[in-house]
Amino acid sequence: MGVFEQLFLAFGTFTTPIMIFHVAWATLLGIFVGSLPGLTATMGVALLTSLTYGLDRDAAILVLISMYVGAIYGGSRSAILLNIPGTPASAATSLDGYPLARQGKAAYAMGLATAGSALGTILGIILLVAIAPPLAAVALKFGSFEFFWLAVFGIVISGMLTADGNPLKGYIAGLLGLAVAMIGSEGIHAVVRFNMGIPELNGGIGLIPAMVGVFGFAEVLTAMSGSDGVILKAKKDHSRSVPRLADLVKYRLTIIKSGVIGTMVGIIPGVGEDIGAWASYAAARANSKEKEMFGKGSQEGLIAAETGNSAVVPGSLIPAITLAIPGSAPSAVLIAALFIHGIRPGPMIMIEQPEFIFSIAVMLFLATLAILIYGLSLTPLFVAVLRVPNAYLMPIIFSLCVIGPYAISQRLFDVWVMVFFGLVGFVLRKMKFPMPPLVLGIILGALLDKSLRRGLILSDGDLTPFFTRPISAGFAFLVLVVVLAGIPSVKRLIWRLIRNGGTNG
Amino acid sequence: MMPMRTADKIMGIVLILLGVAMIWGGYVMDRLEIRGIHPASIPGLVPMGLGALIAICGGLLFASGKNETQDEPIDFGDMSKLLWTAGLSVVFAVVLIGRVPFAWATFLFIAAMTTRFTWTKGAGIVANRRALFFGLASGVFFSATISVLFRYAFLVRLP
Repeated sequence: MGVFEQLFLAFGTFTTPIMIFHVAWATLLGIFVGSLPGLTATMGVALLTSLTYGLDRDAAILVLISMYVGAIYGGSRSAILLNIPGTPASAATSLDGYPLARQGKAAYAMGLATAGSALGTILGIILLVAIAPPLAAVALKFGSFEFFWLAVFGIVISGMLTADGNPLKGYIAGLLGLAVAMIGSEGIHAVVRFNMGIPELNGGIGLIPAMVGVFGFAEVLTAMSGSDGVILKAKKDHSRSVPRLADLVKYRLTIIKSGVIGTMVGIIPGVGEDIGAWASYAAARANSKEKEMFGKGSQEGLIAAETGNSAVVPGSLIPAITLAIPGSAPSAVLIAALFIHGIRPGPMIMIEQPEFIFSIAVMLFLATLAILIYGLSLTPLFVAVLRVPNAYLMPIIFSLCVIGPYAISQRLFDVWVMVFFGLVGFVLRKMKFPMPPLVLGIILGALLDKSLRRGLILSDGDLTPFFTRPISAGFAFLVLVVVLAGIPSVKRLIWRLIRNGGTNG
Repeated sequence: MMPMRTADKIMGIVLILLGVAMIWGGYVMDRLEIRGIHPASIPGLVPMGLGALIAICGGLLFASGKNETQDEPIDFGDMSKLLWTAGLSVVFAVVLIGRVPFAWATFLFIAAMTTRFTWTKGAGIVANRRALFFGLASGVFFSATISVLFRYAFLVRLP
């Protein structure tokens, strides 16, 4: 069956009244979650996973994807109105969104952010449909040696790109995640490791309780101990909320470039929307004719940041579906949700369920339509929601953090796991350890462990194939380059060589 | 407030200890000789490797050179608010849940936390009565909503 026929069929499945209803409420909820500082997309998807437990497979995944798309977009509301990014993904948005709002163009800034988000997601969807099937086909050639290096590469690149100036802390976070994954029954001989005499640990640490702790409870602690933002009361806003077509045409190249950059960043394991936004913003600024406007209310900067972070959403689903390796923290939760609902992501997906990728594309498209409609029509409602004080909101959020993990397993132990990861995650975040590599480590631990040992069994204990098989060698080289590039003295040496080369050339 | 440099040094020591513990744990782990498995597939192999890497990274963190961000104190925000939030949350999740019916535990938690954070010293009796009323009302409404939603819509046997 051709691509368009598959898309048409999927479109038919997801445009029934009940599915449209699910898109409508889940995207709206996602926008609220994203717009409230302290609530992130990952937290929203993790909490909603427990609520979708009783839904059928298609509806459950649709609800989670709608929440993901809505939350990433929703972050721009508070970034523009409060100068506080609702989610880390919107940090770059506030650089130009807030100055625009101060100039009395808040509604227009939100309109531009909406258009940027929608266009970014659509570009990402096109690339998802184009890249995912061939990537799954390539991944079928992967054996234990390649999967081992893929897991190592994921941890290393995520640690390097998400660390705030110190890659060592990123690597440590990834290693701690891998260490957590070593707890419980291992996948080859079923030996229970590091259960510390606690029978509940025999099955390992659940991903959802750990994620809800790290991204939910830790956020509640951060939000309650920080200060509330103040809704902007600047000049009276007479700007229109529907962006001018001329502006979108003017910035078309920026939109396309940001969409492609965002999708590519999404494909890199465990990196996420914030890096997508910053990378797109930096690229747009480097090539802009109005560089001096960036940071002072540049429409181009705002569009680049929003297009970039939204394009990461479909991009991050490409490795999540075809390799079972998440491109971002929310897509890590989505992988867990896929398993809960009986879908096995990985290279076999195009053989076992070839229609699934097209279903995901249609789900993303419907959620994009929803953000477009809500974004251009419900601005006053979003402003009203932003006025809800944390004192009322956070206790409710924490109650959901408690009952959510419990609802999936019916074990009180998972509530304690959530509390433990929340407290540890809070301290680690304050010490500037990034959380995405930690989560990626928990997910990739089993893959890394099994792949290394299976590979060694196949090679009779010989390490050579890990470095001589073509794809393995490529990954090993990439890992080496990334690690070396993270060492300050090596980085300085490379810059010196580049400068000297440029001068000599 | 503890400077980042000191916190990193403490973390470095913790990581070295954790790494050594993992190496030891992996070394003494069952090697399943009785089942005749391949020696390269022993369950302790990867934990030993990870332990070594964690210990090395811990050592590097401990010895990491001076940079401008390391002298900054760690910003935990308002400590009083943080301790109240952490305390109430831990009491709710670890002590009350499982001992008190979920709806009651949730009511107590939401009412206590909302009232604590809307109560203002010296704001006057009327303002604080208002804070208490809205705290209790929020507790009743949201504990009932969450309980009904999970019990009857998602068919979860509540703790």
